[in-house]
Amino acid sequence: MMQKFAPSLLVVALGVALAGCQDNGPQDEKVTINKNPYPSTYKALKSTTTLITNATVLTGTGERLEEADVLLVDGKVQQVGKDLTAQAELTIDAQGKWVTPGLIDVHSHLGAYPSPSVESHQDGNEMTSPNTAEVWVEHSIWPQDPGFNRAREGGITSLQILPGSANLFGGRGVTLKNVPAHTMQGMKFPDAPYGLKMACGENPKRVYGRKGVLPSTRMGNMAGYRTAWIGAAEYKREWDKYDADYAAGKNPEVPHRDIKYDTLRGVLEGEVMIHNHCYKAEEMAMMIDLSKEFGYHAGTFHHGIEAYKIADLLADNGSCAALWPDWWGFKMEAYDMVQENVAIVDAVKNSCAIVHSDSDTTIQRLNQEAGKVMYRANDNGFNISEQHAIKWITSNAAKALGIADKTGSLEAGKQGDVVIWNQSPFSVYAKAEQVFVDGAKVYDRYDDTFQAQSDFMLGQK
Amino acid sequence: MTKLTHSFSLSLVAAGLLASTTVDAQSIAIINATVHTSTEQGILQGASIIMDEGKITAINPEKVAADTIIDAKGQIVTAGFIGTMNQLGLVEVGAVAGSRDGGDDKAGIDFDPSLAFNAHSSLIPYARKGGITRDVITPHGGDSIFAGLASVVDLSGEFDSVKQTQVALVVHLGEKSKGSRAMSLKNLVDKLTAHQQNSNKKDKKDAASPSTEETVLTKVLAGEMPLLVTASRASDIIELIKLKQQFSLNLVIAGAQDAVVVKEQLAQANVPVIVSAMESLPGSFDSLHASLDNAGKLEKAGVKVLLSIAGDASHNVYQLRFDAGNAVSYGMTQEGALKAITANVADVFGINAGSVAVGKAADLVIWNDDPFDFTSHVTKMFINGEEVSTEARQDKLRKRYTTDSEMPRAYTK
Repeated sequence: MMQKFAPSLLVVALGVALAGCQDNGPQDEKVTINKNPYPSTYKALKSTTTLITNATVLTGTGERLEEADVLLVDGKVQQVGKDLTAQAELTIDAQGKWVTPGLIDVHSHLGAYPSPSVESHQDGNEMTSPNTAEVWVEHSIWPQDPGFNRAREGGITSLQILPGSANLFGGRGVTLKNVPAHTMQGMKFPDAPYGLKMACGENPKRVYGRKGVLPSTRMGNMAGYRTAWIGAAEYKREWDKYDADYAAGKNPEVPHRDIKYDTLRGVLEGEVMIHNHCYKAEEMAMMIDLSKEFGYHAGTFHHGIEAYKIADLLADNGSCAALWPDWWGFKMEAYDMVQENVAIVDAVKNSCAIVHSDSDTTIQRLNQEAGKVMYRANDNGFNISEQHAIKWITSNAAKALGIADKTGSLEAGKQGDVVIWNQSPFSVYAKAEQVFVDGAKVYDRYDDTFQAQSDFMLGQK
Repeated sequence: MTKLTHSFSLSLVAAGLLASTTVDAQSIAIINATVHTSTEQGILQGASIIMDEGKITAINPEKVAADTIIDAKGQIVTAGFIGTMNQLGLVEVGAVAGSRDGGDDKAGIDFDPSLAFNAHSSLIPYARKGGITRDVITPHGGDSIFAGLASVVDLSGEFDSVKQTQVALVVHLGEKSKGSRAMSLKNLVDKLTAHQQNSNKKDKKDAASPSTEETVLTKVLAGEMPLLVTASRASDIIELIKLKQQFSLNLVIAGAQDAVVVKEQLAQANVPVIVSAMESLPGSFDSLHASLDNAGKLEKAGVKVLLSIAGDASHNVYQLRFDAGNAVSYGMTQEGALKAITANVADVFGINAGSVAVGKAADLVIWNDDPFDFTSHVTKMFINGEEVSTEARQDKLRKRYTTDSEMPRAYTK
């Protein structure tokens, strides 16, 4: 991989050699880039030991337990099974109801494109350059977006907010806990990795082609990514060299800081996960090669209307595919939709199929979106169970966001993110009745005390 | 059905002739059906329905006689669903300008997009998967408040699909990105007032050759043609109710996100509303009361409710039945939700379909399960008494990529 951009390395090497002549004196203070300058201040709401009993439990790991109990202690799942005998402060009889992990949407623009969608609120996409890897969508989030509350009422407990798709590199995404807060930091999912939004296809070439700058074609898109990764590799090498020289007791010159490349470097170092808006089979295949060319992981493909055409390739690469059940036809690259897309991707060994929303309305019923896929696929030769389909909106989604060790399944030690449904969540008649985040009740359909309201809606007539 | 090649200006007459002269018309009976009639009859168990010459000719006759008899084995039969407020057949791909014919910057009162209706659009077979058999196509608008004329099409995919033209005049009111909504309302009032005054002045000779615009306005002012207005804010709806009374309009309000605030007034004034059951966010200051339970609340208040799809209603009209299911989940009656996508649409736009009753168009759907839930799919479907397929381009793609072959996929057809 390194040999491929030998000329640029040469330049860097020369620069370093020159600097090296002057770096033998006493060491200046080490410059370290703060990777978390806007840290989470999230605190779980007050919780009590809670025992949910007699429910049909979908664990998110592929299991379905009948007449089962879920015990939440200190904000975490402590035990899932039959006839648990715990001393719980709160016992909820969930006879006839279904219990699942809290739902996770890997693709949302809530807060960045909030309601009301007035012009002053259009903060989701910095459409001023094809590469805006320097922007962080968390800096656009309005936590009072009423959409967060509506999503919680649909069982969404975690979600990734992404910037828009007009750019080749749209900037950093952020993962949130779906709890009411009046600062972004108050919602920020502690220790979740950052995402980097990339976009293939029509959007970047349309937006920038119109402005007379690269890209105006799909080959222009590819050239734009490659140029950026070459720059990122150089940047990473400069900082790695600085760190190594400093560690060796030298006093190297501090490299130039570029927040655009901080993010791309984070990808090359495996700290920032790629979330790639990419519809078409041939483009996803090239994005995987691109990632190999520059030595990073291609991450999760979002929207992947044609993912079913390359299901094997996605699984082989360990890439998740976050998909809609049935959106189509709004642009040319969305023309080849099939209703079984998620199921076809899912059927391959080592796959990671996800149902996502990209919508402030369907995020309110991601369970129904998954239900559509399950039933259409089963109409056409698949045999997908509820306990399997729930993974598309829980554990697989957690995997794509790098938080699968924390949430996305009902296993001992996981965060107590739980939804109690009135029935199978895959029905059009399903409703989340109670929602818990870190063991604390954050929503109750039948108790106004647990129904949050945005500042914006307060006092409106 | 024989394909019709006449120009569309003659299509209504020609279609009428065709219905009575089709040589291969076969009578069909569906027996042992659980029929959700969308009428006062409610649900009929173990019922039989006879279709002939494109119409429903009998329900529960003493003796079932037909060329073909289909045993529904207890499955649910409904009238085909009727979409509204979309551009089915007027758009193929949203972002492909050349495939869009649903609106025009210069559109006005006389703009009739049905002239551009493409019965071979790939959206049509896909929409049939949702049990949609008929659709009210509406122009999406241009620079004027007058978007143009709505038409009724069937989803047979045949060239004679445009069944009724000029079924409503579509007007856009409410919030504007520039200027005042008061100016929009004034434009509407001025147009109606001017036409009313001209009509009073004109003698019968002049009236002999009115323009399309004049004809439309005459029908609107006579209450013969619905004035279909998009508006959301409660105060706008109140102004429209006043206008209805002033001009004796047949007013229908679409969008109507905040209609729930003035539901009693709407019921009192007998104004039907076309709403999405899924709108639950304050998208603007005009829709602060958008909520999943609005459709149910409107129904309960006595407002005639029609359901339509929010967002890209053309590609997604197949979801109408799931919207109806959600409406039920949030308070609408099962029967009310069914009527909201069948009989109520037919009533408002004067369509002889939308219910399972003798004399109605034989647009019927057999379902393997509750048509409002994801568990179900169309078992069989009839439009104008003829069976139609629900196989769409999407099915071909699925089969191509799930069928093993030594050869490249392109050879699997």
